Amino acid sequence: MTRILCVAEKPAIAKAVAQHLSGGTFQTNSITGNRYVKNYSFDFNFGSTWGHCNVTMTSVLGHLTELEFAREYKSWLSCPPGALFEAPVHEAVSSDKTAIARNIQQQARQSQALFIWTDCDREGEHIGTEIRKQAKEGNARILVKRARFSNTERAHVLNAARSLIELDDLQANAVAARIELDLRIGAAFTRLLTLQLKPLSSALEDTIVSYGSCQFPTLGFVVDRYLRVKNFKPETFWGIKVMLQREGIKVNFLWKRVHLFDRAVVTIMLERCLLAKLARVTKVNQKPTSKWRPLPLTTVDLQMMGSRFLRMDSQTIMKVAEALYTKGFISYPRTETDQFDKAIDLKKLVEKQFPDQNWGQYARDLLDGGFRTPRAGRHNDQAHPPIHPVCWVSPSALSADEKKVYEFVVRRFLACCSEDAKGQSTEIEIEYGDEMFHAKGLLVLERNYLDVYVYDKWESSQQLPNFQRGEQFEPTEAKIFDGKTTAPNYLTEPELIALMDANGIGTDATMAEHIAKIKDRHYVAVNTRGGGRNAVKELIPTQLGIALVEGYDNVFAGMPNNPSLSKPFLRKEMETRMREICAGSRVRQEVVQESLDMYREYFVHTNRRISALKDAIRKYLPN
Amino acid sequence: MTTPQSQIAAQLHTTKALPVSPTWLNSFVSSTTTALQRTVPISALTQTALFRILASDIRDSLHPNNPSALLPADIVDPSVQERRLPGPVPVQVLDIEDIGTSLWSQVEAIERVERGEAVRGREIVRAVNVGGGEDEEEGGGNAGPAASENESHGPHRLIVQDAAGTRAVAVELKRVQGISVAKLAIGAKLVIRNATVARGMILLAPDCMTLLGGKIESLDHAWKEGRKARLLARITEMQGGDHSG
Repeated sequence: MTRILCVAEKPAIAKAVAQHLSGGTFQTNSITGNRYVKNYSFDFNFGSTWGHCNVTMTSVLGHLTELEFAREYKSWLSCPPGALFEAPVHEAVSSDKTAIARNIQQQARQSQALFIWTDCDREGEHIGTEIRKQAKEGNARILVKRARFSNTERAHVLNAARSLIELDDLQANAVAARIELDLRIGAAFTRLLTLQLKPLSSALEDTIVSYGSCQFPTLGFVVDRYLRVKNFKPETFWGIKVMLQREGIKVNFLWKRVHLFDRAVVTIMLERCLLAKLARVTKVNQKPTSKWRPLPLTTVDLQMMGSRFLRMDSQTIMKVAEALYTKGFISYPRTETDQFDKAIDLKKLVEKQFPDQNWGQYARDLLDGGFRTPRAGRHNDQAHPPIHPVCWVSPSALSADEKKVYEFVVRRFLACCSEDAKGQSTEIEIEYGDEMFHAKGLLVLERNYLDVYVYDKWESSQQLPNFQRGEQFEPTEAKIFDGKTTAPNYLTEPELIALMDANGIGTDATMAEHIAKIKDRHYVAVNTRGGGRNAVKELIPTQLGIALVEGYDNVFAGMPNNPSLSKPFLRKEMETRMREICAGSRVRQEVVQESLDMYREYFVHTNRRISALKDAIRKYLPN
Repeated sequence: MTTPQSQIAAQLHTTKALPVSPTWLNSFVSSTTTALQRTVPISALTQTALFRILASDIRDSLHPNNPSALLPADIVDPSVQERRLPGPVPVQVLDIEDIGTSLWSQVEAIERVERGEAVRGREIVRAVNVGGGEDEEEGGGNAGPAASENESHGPHRLIVQDAAGTRAVAVELKRVQGISVAKLAIGAKLVIRNATVARGMILLAPDCMTLLGGKIESLDHAWKEGRKARLLARITEMQGGDHSG
C-alpha cells in the first residue's frame, strides 16, 4: 500500500484533519524530542491517483527554520552595524525544532509522497517549502503536493484531501524576501540605535531600542495623532438655528453651512433671514431608505469591529479566532475576501445555527423565507472565504473570550444572509433669506438584519409634521448659536488598524503583532478614556516613543520625498514589491537587493546625522 | 481719427468694463509698438493690454471717469442695512480667507504640504512634486501647489480694492467658481455689478460678478509666504482673548 506523509502547520490542525480522514480511529505516536508534535497513523482513500493509502499525519510548530547571520557577525560588537546589510546569512533549522525536522526526514524515508497541510496563506506556503526541504533530505524522490483548505469542517477537509494542488513557490519566495529584509534592516538599525542611544539615559539601561520597518510607521501614526491632540487650538464658530412649531412638534432646521468661523458674516446672514420674514419650502423628499446589512467578514474588519464592540485588543481577538478555527468552529480567520463564493452552501451553514438559544430562532426564520444572498465586497484574496461559522458550538464549551468572538462571527454571518433594514426618510429643505436649511426624519419600518446584528444602531427619529413644496411660513425662532472646535481624540486601536490597512503597513495577518510590539517595547501605552460601557482604549506614545519619532523626523528633515522611517512610505513600497513577487512579475533576489540598497542609503544618512536622534532622546528622557 | 489708444480703451471698456487710465495706456502703447511698428493688429494689442492690466495694480492702470465704477467712499458703514451697488466696479483682491474652515485646520493643511504629505481620506499620501526644478516665470499661469485635495471649501471672505484705493470686505454668499485660497491669487481682478451691500459687506454670487483673474506677483508672493504666520498669529490672539474674557 502507498505510504503518504501529511504535515500540518500546527498539532491541532494535524489532529483535526487526522480525525476526519480516519473517520475517528487512528493511532497516536509520540516523537522523540518534542512534547507537542504527534504522529497519527491511519488508512485513507485519496481517490483516483492515489487510491487507498497508509497515512502518517504530523505537524510542525510554525516556521522550522530561521535566517541568521554567520557566526562572526552574531555578537553586537563584532562589526559595524552597517555591515549587516551585506553580511552572509544562512537558513538553519531553529535549535528548538530539530526534533521536528528529524521526524519529518524519518517519516519521508518510508513514504512515496508528502502532502502539505499548512495554512493557505503566504506564510503557510513558505512553511510548506521548509517542510519540503526536510522531507527531500530524508527521501530525495518523494512527490510533493499541497492540500487547499480554509476550515477544518469534515466535508471540506475530505474534499481538500481529494483535490490536491501544487505548492506556490512564488508566495514562498515573497516571504523569504521579507524575512531577509526584516532581519538585515531590523538588526542593522536596532544595533545602531541601541549602541548609540543607550548610554544617553538611565531609562534605557535595560532595554533594546529596536527598529522594525513595520513597527516604526505604526508608532509614527500614534505619535502623529498625539501631537495633533497636543498642539490643537480650539476656535469659536457660529451658526444659525431655525425652529418652527407646528402640529405640536418643534421642528429644528439645520443650517446647510453648518457653521462658520466669522461672527460678523453670520450675523449679517441671520439679519437677512429675518428681513426676508418668510421661509419657503424648496424640497419635500419622502423616500424609502435602507440601512445595508454588513459585508462578509474580513480579518481587518474582525479586528476593528472586535476591538470596538467586544472590548478586546486586536491581538487577543486574533488569538481567540485562531483557537476557534483550530477547533473547527469557524473558518480560517486570516482573509482579505469579503465575497462568498457561489459554491458555498450558505443555507446549510445557517441551518447549523438552529440549536442556539439566542439566535437559533432567527436562523430558522432566515430559512423560512428571510434568507438573502450576501452582498459582495470588492476584495478576494483567492485563498480563503470570508470568516464564517463552520458549525454550531454550545456556549458551555467555550471560554468567555471565545464566546464573544464566536458570537460576533455568527451574528455577522447571519446578518450578511439577511435583508437590509428598511425605513422611510423625510427631508425638508427650506430657503430663508439667502440661506438654506434642512430637517430630516427617519421612520424604521423593518429591522431585519438589525435584529441579529446587535452592534449596529438605527433608530427612528422624531416624526416631522406635514410640509408642502412651495409653501411659505414664518419660523417660530431663528437665532445664532456658537460652539468651539474640539481636539481630535487619541488614536484607538481600530483606527490604527484602519490606518495601517490604508497605508499598506503589515498584512492582515501581522498588524496585530506590530501593535503588540510597540506596546511591548514601551513606545506606546494604553490609556482608558471614559468608563463603563462607553470606555475607549486609547494609544498614547511614551516619552521614548515621541523621542524616536521626533529624532527620526529630524534626521530626515529636508530630504526630498520625506523618507522618514516613521512614515509609511518606505514600507508600503516594500509590501508592493512582495506582492509583485507573488504575482511573478519580479524575482526575489532583485527585490531584496533593491530594498536593501534603499534602506542602506537611509542607514548611512541616519548614522551621519545620529546627533539629531541623540538630541531628541536627551530632550525627552532623563540622563 | 481713432488712435490705437482709443480703440483699445473702447474695446476694454465695452467687453470687460475696464476704464483704462489714458496715461497708463499711452506708456503701454509706446512701449509695445516702437519695436513692432504698426504691424501688430489692434485685437492682439488689446489682448496684451488686458494681460498687463490683470498683472498690474489697478490704482495705476485704471482711471474711471464715472463714479459708478468706484466703490462708494463710505461703503464700509455698518449702519447701512442694505444698499445696491449697480457698478460695474472693477476691483482687485487684497486678501482671501476661508471662513468655513477653522484656522487651525488650515495651519495643519499647510504643514502637511510642508512635510510633503497630503491626506486623502484616511490615507497619508505622498504629495507628488510636479513642478520639478522649473523657475517661476512671468505668465506661467498655474504655478500653484499641486495638492488639489487641499482645496478650500469656503465660503470665502475677500478684501477688495477699487481703482481709487477704497477697500471693502466681500463675502462669497453663493459659491463662485474660481474663488478658493489655492486658485485665486492676490491681485486678481473682478468686476462687480448689481451686487447687494449689507452692513458694509459686499455679497458675492455668480450672477453679480465676473472673475477676470490675474495677480500682482509681488503681493501674491508675500501673501503666500506669510500666510501660515498670519494664521498662527490670529490663533494666538484669539486664545489670549479667550483667557481674558
